[in-house]
Amino acid sequence: MTTTFEDLNAGDAIDGPTFAVSRESIRLFCDASLDYNPLHLDDDYMKGSFGKTNFGGIIMHGMNNFGLISRMLTDWAYPRGAIHRRLETRWVKPVRPGDTIRPLGIVKSKQVTKNSRWVLIDVLVRNQNDEKVATGEAMVEFPLDAAA
Amino acid sequence: MAQAEAFETDFWKDANLRKVWDDIVPGEPRKTIPYTLTRDAIELYCKSVGETHPIYFDEAYAKTTRYGGLIAPPSIHILLMFSCTPADDWMRSPGTVNAGQSWSYNIPARPGDVITLQARALDKFIKRERLFVVHDNVFFNQHGEVICSGRGQTIRPE
Repeated sequence: MTTTFEDLNAGDAIDGPTFAVSRESIRLFCDASLDYNPLHLDDDYMKGSFGKTNFGGIIMHGMNNFGLISRMLTDWAYPRGAIHRRLETRWVKPVRPGDTIRPLGIVKSKQVTKNSRWVLIDVLVRNQNDEKVATGEAMVEFPLDAAA
Repeated sequence: MAQAEAFETDFWKDANLRKVWDDIVPGEPRKTIPYTLTRDAIELYCKSVGETHPIYFDEAYAKTTRYGGLIAPPSIHILLMFSCTPADDWMRSPGTVNAGQSWSYNIPARPGDVITLQARALDKFIKRERLFVVHDNVFFNQHGEVICSGRGQTIRPE
């Protein structure tokens, strides 16, 4: 296992947690985030169309993907003395009850600035069919005081 | 969970009071409300995404870390966005679709923090017949320190 900034290389993988999506997990995310948008609650409403899009039923919050990616990054960063500094995401495909999703990170590059050191990471979330449901980029700081 | 009980979970209620895309003025500040972040709220959020790291739960452990005490996960701004805005805020409009987000993290939010939000639409545009708004959000703690800042896009319901 790589533990220091020096040891990290482009292509290194960061494994994220498997997350089973259910009506209950979506409802819990409503209660925890206070986001009660009917997209995540109301099947009748979701039978309708949104412009050109028809979801056919309730969908998971896009920000639930964001929270899972963030969890993967912090769980990776804390034991290395590193700090999760930035996350950018886009949603590629809706996630529905019954899906199982898992975030993944791939180290893209490293950069040293005047006062610190940074790791740029490509992130994505896949479902059980290996389809990408979210993609993005993250930035983790390895402060100089954390040098091993 | 007194704060959650007071929270209006029916997003259809007050829907007529909320601004639609046509009414949103880029640059105009949104109405926001201070929010006291509790340990209960952090723990509920952690449960919803499966966070188990002791830095969010175990005070004795957290004291031994660089943070010197319990913190919230960086992504707690997902909750703060709704807890720091009133019921007539247009982020609650049913059918609002999140079209992507980027967030930068400065210092962690902590249990007991009184958190404020400065927020506005920064831009709005139409693309492939869809109505987009660009969001600009910054969360501060009670000391005026930036916790995190974010930019997002939503597709507005028609």
